[in-house]
Amino acid sequence: MRLLPLAVVFGMLLSADAERASAQVRMTFDKHPVIEVGNLLTAHIRFKSQVDFREFPEELELSPAKPLVDLHRTRIGLEGRLTRALEYQIEGELSDAGAPWRDAYVQTRSFRQLQVRAGQFKIPFSLDQLTSGMDLDFNYRSLAGSFLAPGRDVGVMAFGRLINDVFRYQAAVFKHGGDNVRESERTDPQADRTYAGRLVVRPWIRSQSVLRTLSAGAAFTSGRLPAGPNGVRGKTVPGDAFFEHLFVNGNRQRIGGEFQWRPLGPVGLQAEFIQVRDQRFGQGIDNEDLPNAYSRGWYASGVWLLTGERKKDARPFLRGGIGAVEIGARVERLASWSHGVNDGSFSSPRAPWVMPRVDDVWTGGVNWYWNEYVKLQANVIRERRREDGHVIIGKGSLWSETFRVQLGF
Amino acid sequence: MARRISAPFVATILLVAFCLCGGRPLVAQSQVDSLLDGSSLQDLWVHVNARDWEDLHTHFQDNTYYPADVEWQGTRVRNAAIRVRGVASRNGHKPSFRLDFNRYVTGQTFFGLDALTLDSSWQDPSMITNRLSMALFRRLGIPAPRVAHVRLFAGAGREYVGVYAVTEEVVPSFLRTNFGEDNGYLYEFNHLANDTWGFQDLGPRLGSYVPRFSPKTHDTESVAQLYMPIRDLVERINDAPQSDLESRLSGYLDLDTFILELAIQNFVMQTDGLVGGVGTNNFYLYRFAGKNLSLLIPWDQGNAFGWFDDVPPWWNMDANVLASKIWNEPKYRARYLAALLRVADVVSADDWLLGEAQRDYQQIREAVYADAFAPYPLSQFEQMHASIQQFIRARPDNVRQHVASLGQ
Repeated sequence: MRLLPLAVVFGMLLSADAERASAQVRMTFDKHPVIEVGNLLTAHIRFKSQVDFREFPEELELSPAKPLVDLHRTRIGLEGRLTRALEYQIEGELSDAGAPWRDAYVQTRSFRQLQVRAGQFKIPFSLDQLTSGMDLDFNYRSLAGSFLAPGRDVGVMAFGRLINDVFRYQAAVFKHGGDNVRESERTDPQADRTYAGRLVVRPWIRSQSVLRTLSAGAAFTSGRLPAGPNGVRGKTVPGDAFFEHLFVNGNRQRIGGEFQWRPLGPVGLQAEFIQVRDQRFGQGIDNEDLPNAYSRGWYASGVWLLTGERKKDARPFLRGGIGAVEIGARVERLASWSHGVNDGSFSSPRAPWVMPRVDDVWTGGVNWYWNEYVKLQANVIRERRREDGHVIIGKGSLWSETFRVQLGF
Repeated sequence: MARRISAPFVATILLVAFCLCGGRPLVAQSQVDSLLDGSSLQDLWVHVNARDWEDLHTHFQDNTYYPADVEWQGTRVRNAAIRVRGVASRNGHKPSFRLDFNRYVTGQTFFGLDALTLDSSWQDPSMITNRLSMALFRRLGIPAPRVAHVRLFAGAGREYVGVYAVTEEVVPSFLRTNFGEDNGYLYEFNHLANDTWGFQDLGPRLGSYVPRFSPKTHDTESVAQLYMPIRDLVERINDAPQSDLESRLSGYLDLDTFILELAIQNFVMQTDGLVGGVGTNNFYLYRFAGKNLSLLIPWDQGNAFGWFDDVPPWWNMDANVLASKIWNEPKYRARYLAALLRVADVVSADDWLLGEAQRDYQQIREAVYADAFAPYPLSQFEQMHASIQQFIRARPDNVRQHVASLGQ
């Protein structure tokens, strides 16, 4: 129902010229199917599929063993142009019957310095979260990108490129705080608006130096938290809860920094930092204010394309070549804590002092791009989890292995 | 030449060491005894966030735990967890609660107790029937939870929220106190809707036992490990010839203990117990560590003392397979009747149970009158107490007459 207004606008625009366009429908295939309806509409049909085979460490105290095979993503979508003035994207997850819609928005297309997008889409925060799941260098997003970024919501965003693409900005307001939050927050009728902004700078984009591809950015979100057990989620690589389920009330603020650079053709570097602050007014056992709860995550990663400078230059596998092969490594951390003194209450969701928890993760991986449709990814992941500065017994060296078969167009 | 250490010196050292180390649990235990022995009406203060307190009442059907601190006699135990409890008695006006002391802190106890229930006595206008029944079980040597009354205060403002019966939960701390061990297999019996099961053979499928018995210890073990012994016990009860129960159940169930439990419940007319009107109900099953021997631990005897009308104390014995076999076999029937007479003697000796009922009445009366959340009018409270005291006065002779009528 939340997408109904969007559907109405979409329908009105289509109906305006539908009769005239009906005789001009054309279907082509160039890497993916495209339907063109005169000058009224183009519809690029997209399909995304990811199947994972994974082996996680046995942690029976957390949850039962995870299934070996995971249908991670099966999405179908449309994107294209709507009249000359608008662009659109609609995407749905076939395996999610409860909330199938992912992106569903329209945006202006004529003036690149100032565009406006409306509908459901990702809140502009976190480079890793904003990167399509099909384009990730590793099987899983960083823990920071996965859990500290807000995800999607319904909103309106102004965005554009300024001064020859040196600056890219996004400024938006959303109905709630995103879908990457606890279920209790998603369904809380008191959830309120979230504001977000992101600025990315590419100072040397017009130069021919090695710094040409360097970009750096900063982002923030700010929104009202509904009072309740809505503290930030934090999970381990296998997907088990890692952060305490804290009661919060007040504002949630995120700040983030990002960095991306491809200094040499086949080598890419990327790093990001995110910190989230949740206020806890009146959340103590005796209704007293509690110290803010903090979550922080960062990662630094690098990839090296072994088979040449660009993936698309490689000859496809089974068609005279081996495709493109890339190796990568990432180091990352996810942490939570609060200020204050250990008073022994740390394991309560209304604890004044949140015991510091840290999950350090190292990931090594190989990506094999068969062709433009198929990618295989293998990752080896090591986790070390700590509480209050001490390695949790039995959690000092947890190994996971994941293998992904990806098909998309 | 080595100096000889005197015996008094050694004794002093040992006494100091005991007080410093080994004495602590005893101090805690004796402290909590004064909460649970019912000798006085205690005040208990549950510190809980105002929003959580509201949620506990609004969403009383949920089993959601909320953090709470529990304060008693100036000692505040932090990091406990509170949720609403109960089945038919669940309500949002004056809910009953469960306090879990080691949900957020592993191993934490409240003066040696892992958990407590706070019973609002929603279905018992007198508020004392469960306490009197449990006291009778314990008086006769059957391990049963201790029950006492408290004035409950809640929230940062210490609002008085009524009289509650504080009940020792059947959890590992109860097992340690009563059996000196807590590593056996403990199950809570769940009475299923529209089910009149009374230990009838459910067939070979262990799945038939799973919904009826919730494991409270060893709960991560396999279904086979948890439920095969229960199925074996039930099969033995059903397969045992009526005339040879004792030897067939030897090592699995102590027949005399079961007979005594049955006699107590029928003496006090507990209509929702081992031979209740809707099948067997309200007990825990404990299988001792490393043994096949099991024991039934009584739970929630709130329906007792409510129905009399000269009903013979062998009412509804057919509701339970084992009770039926006992009643239909003369030698076991004789033991059951003897147990009834023993209960009658204990109840009437020095008017012990009447004294308990009268003391409870005096103890809680003023607090009940001040209880703005009491679910019953005060006139009903008074009537029920009068009725219970009349029951206790009359029941021993009534039972004796019934037994005598059978020629025993």
